[in-house]
Amino acid sequence: MRIEKSRTLYEKLNILSDAAKYDVACTSSGTDRRGSGRGVGNCIAPGICHSFSADGRCISLLKILFSNDCVFDCKYCINRVSNDVERASFTPEEVCRLTIEFYRRNYIEGLFLSSGVLRTPAYTAELLYETLYKLRTEYHFEGYIHVKLIPGAPGELIEKTGYLADRVSVNLELPTAESLRLLAPHKTRQRILAPMRQVQLARTENKNELTLYRSAPRFVPAGQSTQMIIGATPENDYQIISVAESLYRKFELKRVFYSAFVQVNEDPLLPVLPGGPPLLREHRLYQADWLLRYYDFRADELLSERHPNFNVFLDPKCDWALSHLETFPVEVSRADYRTLLRVPGIGPRSAQRIVRARRMGTLDYDTLRRTGVVLKRAVYFITCNGRQMYPLKLDEDFILRNLLQDGKRGIPTETATYRQMSLFDDVRFADTCGLTG
Amino acid sequence: MIIFECEDSADGIFTAVYDAWASRLGHRNVRLQTRALRTRELFAEYCEVCPDGGKAEKVARTIRRRMGEESYEMIYRAAMARDDEKADSIYRVVVLGLSPQISEREAADVIWQLTDPAVCHVFELARRVWHEAHRYMGFVRFRELENGVLFSEIDAEANVLPLLGDHFADRFPNENFMICDHGHAACLVHRAAGPWCLLLDTEPDGALRHQMSANEQEMQQLWCGFCSSISIRERENARLQQQFWPLRFRKWMTENPDFR
Repeated sequence: MRIEKSRTLYEKLNILSDAAKYDVACTSSGTDRRGSGRGVGNCIAPGICHSFSADGRCISLLKILFSNDCVFDCKYCINRVSNDVERASFTPEEVCRLTIEFYRRNYIEGLFLSSGVLRTPAYTAELLYETLYKLRTEYHFEGYIHVKLIPGAPGELIEKTGYLADRVSVNLELPTAESLRLLAPHKTRQRILAPMRQVQLARTENKNELTLYRSAPRFVPAGQSTQMIIGATPENDYQIISVAESLYRKFELKRVFYSAFVQVNEDPLLPVLPGGPPLLREHRLYQADWLLRYYDFRADELLSERHPNFNVFLDPKCDWALSHLETFPVEVSRADYRTLLRVPGIGPRSAQRIVRARRMGTLDYDTLRRTGVVLKRAVYFITCNGRQMYPLKLDEDFILRNLLQDGKRGIPTETATYRQMSLFDDVRFADTCGLTG
Repeated sequence: MIIFECEDSADGIFTAVYDAWASRLGHRNVRLQTRALRTRELFAEYCEVCPDGGKAEKVARTIRRRMGEESYEMIYRAAMARDDEKADSIYRVVVLGLSPQISEREAADVIWQLTDPAVCHVFELARRVWHEAHRYMGFVRFRELENGVLFSEIDAEANVLPLLGDHFADRFPNENFMICDHGHAACLVHRAAGPWCLLLDTEPDGALRHQMSANEQEMQQLWCGFCSSISIRERENARLQQQFWPLRFRKWMTENPDFR
């Protein structure tokens, strides 16, 4: 039996933002749109962070569920039907009012609207559409909107919603179909991928249309994203990153988000993680994800069946560089852009700057530092005009040892010195053996 | 050595660039400096420069035409920085870009000649200023006053207001709003459906800015509630939060517990 009481807006916002906090994406990036001058709002391609919550995550969008009154029973979710939690639902007016009032005060960059499944997927999707329609046409909101598509919602609703939103996403939830069957009995892989494919096709079609008619309405201009939970099921990093890679390739996703599993429910099917959520693992996956999207790496370069998980102590790029020392050192004044990108400590921005700056003059280490190269990591892997910054050995153990030391000191502790070979216990060597093994 | 002392603004610096150039003393014999309380040099002659809109406009137009929009943007941003050497660095960059020895195409790339100390300095300043302006695009907090004006206060290091004007005017075309920068005693003012403008050396009305509109209190409460409920307890990490959201930005922000 359900006892319902009317709630104030404050209570609703508390319940429904609390319920939405496990959704990861809070980016407002991907689209540039100037205001029309009649409404309120615009969009900036790099996105803007407006605040940071106590867990250090950015608050950019008003992230809320429309309702947490869900009929599904996903094992990992706080809002599953078998949980006894406070339930609440917004009305479309309330969401619009909150969004506009927050936006006017520059609290937020836009709205992130998700929802539990209220009655049926179609009913929920209809409500989300209605909210967006009201916000765009009645309140003339021109800021960023990210909306979750409800798997199983009818296709025409998805299409209509896509013309109002900037970004849509469908949660993949778990990396493999098998895990999904186990932990989310009401969802299937196929029902999740179907709307994703639909959005992809509609976007391609819309792009063609836009080349013909520049003022045609835009369909999901900031692209689609997805997220999966890390550490609730036994997949290894290689599987996860391969899934992400194929999503980028085959579904043209803009982002894949990873969320470290936070145990909110007691369930025999869920793992117990005494050390808290696997945050470091999540961090490594994000780093690898950037390597896939911006650094031209492939998943099978970073990991393999034999070496299926990321090194906890080193970021994936350093890890890759250490196992491919034959490609180093790289000469920064001559190497092409792609080669530069593979050097630890050099990112897309600094690589571009190097390429432009070296046309105008001779580079030196000071200039490199000023272009944004992290020399702390890069020194081991580069030469500038044929010279290293310090005489350093291109030796795996040596570099590893120095990278792992907290790089507070400017100059690596040990430049190329010679030491007496010893058959036994070299102290410094002993502690790195454990790490690489 | 002649030192041209100018006002700390884009107009002031550009006027000094014009005067220094027109003085025909030779680029090596002049230096530019923004007016500030600092000890004067003994063996230098000082020359006061009054900001002149016409001269500044000419310099700006020449930079744009010869060195391109990208270079102009960077130089302008660097002129907004809080830095003692900026005026001279800007002058050196302009001299480099307008030198008759280089072609049109090379002039546009001068700003990338990072091996030159002056260019590098301007480049770094521009980056730093833009970074701060971008942060303020997110960290500015408006509160609705009784008369419907959206009012906000900041205390910025660089003079970011001119860089924020276009952004906020485009975002809130039909609002009356005002951003007051205490660090520079300047206000950015926008009237609904009109252009924005800067008021220098003004302080907003003391009493008026504390009279809130009827639902301002409620909205502030809702926002603070949202900010605390959106955080995941298992992941809390105050150091990470502070890294992204440094304390110096928080003073005027609604969700800062010390604000009210």
